[in-house]
Amino acid sequence: MQKTVYNKGSYNFRNNVTIDWCPGCGDFAIVTAVTQALSKMDMDPTKVVAISGIGCSGKTPHYLNIAGAHTLHGRAIPYAVGVKLANPDLNVLVMGGDGDMLGIGAGHFVAEGRRNSGIVVLLYNNAVYGLTKGQAAPTMPLGEKVKSIPRPSILGKINPSALALASGYTFVARAFSSEIAQLSDIIIKALNHKGSSMIEVLQPCPTYNDVNTLDWYRKRVYKLENDKSWDPEVNSADEDEEKFSRAYETAMTWGDKIPIGILYKNNIIPPFTERLTSIVPDYFKYPPANQDICDKNGYTLVDPFKTFNEKVID
Amino acid sequence: MHEIDINLLVGGPQGGGIDSSANMINMAFSLAGYYIFGVREYHSNIKGRHSYIHLRIMRRRPGSLKYPVDIMVALDPDTLFEHMHDVSKNSKVIYDSAFEKFDLSQARMILPDTLARIKEELSKNNLPLNAAGVLEYYHSHGIKTISIPFDKVINENVPEGPSTRYYNTLGAGVTLALLGLDMDHAIAGIKYAFRKKPAVIEPNVKILNAAYDFVDKLGENIANLETYEAKPRMLLNGNDSVAIGKLMGGLRFQTYYPITPASDESNLLENHEEIEYLSEEAENLRKGGLVVVQTEDELAAVNMANGAALTGARSATATSGPGFSLMAEGISFAGMTEIPVVITFYQRGGPSTGLPTRNGQADLDFALNTGHGEFPKIVLSSGDMEECIYDAMKALNYAQKYQLPVIHLIDKTLANTMDLVPEIDVKKVKIEIPEYNNDENNYKRYSLNTSNGVSPYGVFGRDVFWMTGDEHDELGHVTEDPEIRDKMMEKRMKKLETAAMEIPLEDKAVLYGNKEADLTFVTWGSQKTLIMDLIDELKKENINANMLYLKMFEPFPSEFVESILGKSKTVIDVESNMTAQAAKAIRLNTGIKIDNYILKYNGRHMTIDEVLTATKNIIDGKSKMEVLKNGS
Repeated sequence: MQKTVYNKGSYNFRNNVTIDWCPGCGDFAIVTAVTQALSKMDMDPTKVVAISGIGCSGKTPHYLNIAGAHTLHGRAIPYAVGVKLANPDLNVLVMGGDGDMLGIGAGHFVAEGRRNSGIVVLLYNNAVYGLTKGQAAPTMPLGEKVKSIPRPSILGKINPSALALASGYTFVARAFSSEIAQLSDIIIKALNHKGSSMIEVLQPCPTYNDVNTLDWYRKRVYKLENDKSWDPEVNSADEDEEKFSRAYETAMTWGDKIPIGILYKNNIIPPFTERLTSIVPDYFKYPPANQDICDKNGYTLVDPFKTFNEKVID
Repeated sequence: MHEIDINLLVGGPQGGGIDSSANMINMAFSLAGYYIFGVREYHSNIKGRHSYIHLRIMRRRPGSLKYPVDIMVALDPDTLFEHMHDVSKNSKVIYDSAFEKFDLSQARMILPDTLARIKEELSKNNLPLNAAGVLEYYHSHGIKTISIPFDKVINENVPEGPSTRYYNTLGAGVTLALLGLDMDHAIAGIKYAFRKKPAVIEPNVKILNAAYDFVDKLGENIANLETYEAKPRMLLNGNDSVAIGKLMGGLRFQTYYPITPASDESNLLENHEEIEYLSEEAENLRKGGLVVVQTEDELAAVNMANGAALTGARSATATSGPGFSLMAEGISFAGMTEIPVVITFYQRGGPSTGLPTRNGQADLDFALNTGHGEFPKIVLSSGDMEECIYDAMKALNYAQKYQLPVIHLIDKTLANTMDLVPEIDVKKVKIEIPEYNNDENNYKRYSLNTSNGVSPYGVFGRDVFWMTGDEHDELGHVTEDPEIRDKMMEKRMKKLETAAMEIPLEDKAVLYGNKEADLTFVTWGSQKTLIMDLIDELKKENINANMLYLKMFEPFPSEFVESILGKSKTVIDVESNMTAQAAKAIRLNTGIKIDNYILKYNGRHMTIDEVLTATKNIIDGKSKMEVLKNGS
């Protein structure tokens, strides 16, 4: 099978598809941060894919010059996991909104923590469902009233970073769409992390959310890495309890001060792909996407009487 | 010579050893050169509820089961009451003497309505509502009952106990002895059944000896079965067969969420994730393995399979009705974005949770109409083990070749049918690799420059392209342009025409039996082999029948079906549902309306005796619609 060849180094990760997000949307920053990260890493464009669900966030893959799947509402994670496990060679980015990931797709968001497949989830948090005209998303606090809803929200909120930690993601970070360099740096670190990452991106929705605006966030966010003693990395089991608790507490910090940066990075929990090698030893060498399934004449390589010997009576 | 034809029923509490009992019987007869055919019936329950295995033993390969049975083994008192009508004159009923003290007021696991019916039947016959009553019922109907003091026999031979551990072997042993199978083969059967637990072989053989001694003293042999040379054969059910076919067909990624009666397929695949390869030349091949993922739900199952398929890996999932309902959106997406994926759909009794462990063929309409919008998909169905295997391979081929979702229908009866398969032809189905794109930097995943609707294939990891569930342009970007919309719709649907043209007729529908028959059965799924047996039975009564057997419902073999039914004299549609969905598909595609129906929707497997009676009622003009009732 002949492969598509691209020149590295000078590759433009942004294609020429017109972006149709509202002016001032936080989503632009994510496209910029992703393309910056991929360029900086000198990523082979055939080795990275972008997978999204539905909503404004869902359009992101179309704007990137890498393979992209714009899938179903809530289901981006299962698609991404399918791609990753069938071809662990690939770097898999998931772009999902707060509604996509924590509303309709919450089950997958949680389940992925258990798997730790090695995908990078970018969760666009603007507290509203933008494309359907601003309904409350699962990240909107109880009692908040933004201009697109008729009365204060009577639903409580989910804290995405805290939920990611509780679910088992081994890399959890919170970023802010105005801090593109930090976000880009976090994306690079997440892509280099073996397990699954969840990056919550705080961002404004200038059209529907008139409460959590750019200024609102700017006044509140502070970078964790500015504190030189901040070390979110877990490299041995004995430091996990303390670092996890601190990460969780930091994730839950919300209000006048909102921390951004890497909250937690566990390097010792093996990703799902590594766990698979206990069952299929040469899984990394010949993953499902890269195997011969027939001989040169097109005949099967599996002898049923031999392979399923336990079913044979003789 | 009279043809050997033994029908058996082994009943007992779920989780109480009927499986191993049946297994010993199966192994012994298989090794003695017989064919066995069986179906397992059980409640949605882990331990205690009444379950049973219906078996048939013949020299030729049977394709159906028959009531009344010749021998019924009761491993619980419930069996004696639940199957009063499944035995007849000359049948033998084996039970534990301890059951003689049983009173129906102690019956905890018989369902209230069933219990009421049993009580009514006994009362009608002026019999007491206890074991004495039911035994008297059997005696008055000329049925021989054989009381065995299970605990006593077991304790005398294997005193270390617990005796309950050997009930299954004693039941199986008495059955084998009554049928006069020689001791060597009976022992071989036991050894085979316990080949993974060698430590338990010795005590079980002791119990087997005791069973043979017991029957010897009784002098009640009903047969003296000869033994024959037996070639190696595989004892498979429908779940096994699909799993085998998928692995042979190049499946390398399977997802599932646990559901009856589908998960056994995935569980077998989980045991074979490291694949053993066939040929000598395999040394030089890229080996690897199968990845099986148990997902968080069926939404993840279908969409993760879709995702894996994007990388070029052959990918599938397996589910049943409730899970398939959740998969509908993912199937529509696969249709829209042209993802090659196979969904094996094990039908059970619906609607909703329905009869989770019972049979049904009521999801054909649903499979055909699943997913919103209009998109091409292939819907095929299998009717026996070989078809399960080869169709699973073909389904993977179709998915790749036409880049679309393929729905492979199996019914619960077939999934749980035990059948001995003499051979599997590894060269029967060639693996067809799709044509990949070769246009390095200007790849159009959805190129309209195609005459058959199929655009050059591309995969993540090799090519850069986009895909979306929105209507899209050739590159895979969202578009709402009205002209492109029309062209894309037409391109996608064109693939169905291509498939209809390329897939050979024998993979869509087959006419079995004499072309000029007076009677034509129309059926699909697990009734295939039953009707084939029935055609032979009818021949004995000078009734000339054939069968139009349907295998593919999309694309539908309209012309062929029309050519057969257009000249058939009497047509009977046989299905395990209430609304005759295959007949509906025929009418939809050909305009032909079938007049006679044999339907069953109580969730139990069809048996040949009830279909025969129903057929005669229709031939005799007594009715046009027969609803079958067999089964406990």
